[in-house]
Amino acid sequence: MAEADQVDQVEKEIRFDLPIERAKVQEFAIAVGEDNPICLDIEAARQAGLPDIVAPPTFTATQILVVNRDERERRLGANLDYGRVLHGEQEFHYERLPFAGEVLSGVMRISKDFTKEGKRGGTMRFVTYESIFTDAQGEIVLTAYYTLIETSKDVG
Amino acid sequence: MGAPQHITLEGITPGMDFGPVVFGPLSREDFVRYAEASGDDNPIHQDEEYARSQGAPTVFAMGMLAAGYLAHAVADWFGGPQHVARYKVRFTTRAWPGDEIICTGKVESLEGSRVTVSLEARRHGDGPEGLNLDEEQVALIGEAEVDLPE
Repeated sequence: MAEADQVDQVEKEIRFDLPIERAKVQEFAIAVGEDNPICLDIEAARQAGLPDIVAPPTFTATQILVVNRDERERRLGANLDYGRVLHGEQEFHYERLPFAGEVLSGVMRISKDFTKEGKRGGTMRFVTYESIFTDAQGEIVLTAYYTLIETSKDVG
Repeated sequence: MGAPQHITLEGITPGMDFGPVVFGPLSREDFVRYAEASGDDNPIHQDEEYARSQGAPTVFAMGMLAAGYLAHAVADWFGGPQHVARYKVRFTTRAWPGDEIICTGKVESLEGSRVTVSLEARRHGDGPEGLNLDEEQVALIGEAEVDLPE
């Protein structure tokens, strides 16, 4: 094995596919209390002029099923100490919601990484993972921003 | 709640309040269901022993579970999830088993067909024994933009 292969190479971005499966959309909708029929019932979705049931707004959080934390950490190399990490913020920008039956292409990268002084002293680090999801036509469907906060070692 | 009301721009004015919509009381089964649905299998939300080993008195809700509830509330106020153009939340405190999640919103501005709404999800409950939490605390602060039919 070449020496370069043994070194963990940090990558700029991770490309992945996120299939939008009907059963998964229904399962997720039920888990977050989304009882709108267009997220659950194909007939209701079609009557509303939609090709299939739509994924609830926070559905692409399921990208963790495709790229888990360890893989994300290994490949993007944020080097966070997960014993001190909190989910600080989450943001989504939508062009539309995904439909069941399509496969979205995702590109995830670190879009922000900065530190600031905490209110109770110590330094907090903010790392934002941006994931851009596009459809089969190459059109952007939505962008998700997942922000983790690494709290200071010194503050309990 | 079923199918949301058909809503149009007419009748929406800045300062208008929406909610409260109440979810819960949260159960450990809700956390397991969300873990399975979302892939967030961090044991701190499901495994009492692990949660205690991490300094928490018991398991607590995934932030994204409450964020999912709040997104649903906004979607229903404005005619369904397909109208949501932007959704943002900041997590301010944990929600515990037994808590209710109370979702409210307020119209901040109106520009063309786009409505900007400030959002809040409060946890309401006793909290775990020994933590002496206030009965009600803001767990999520958020903002959404929705596009309404003219």
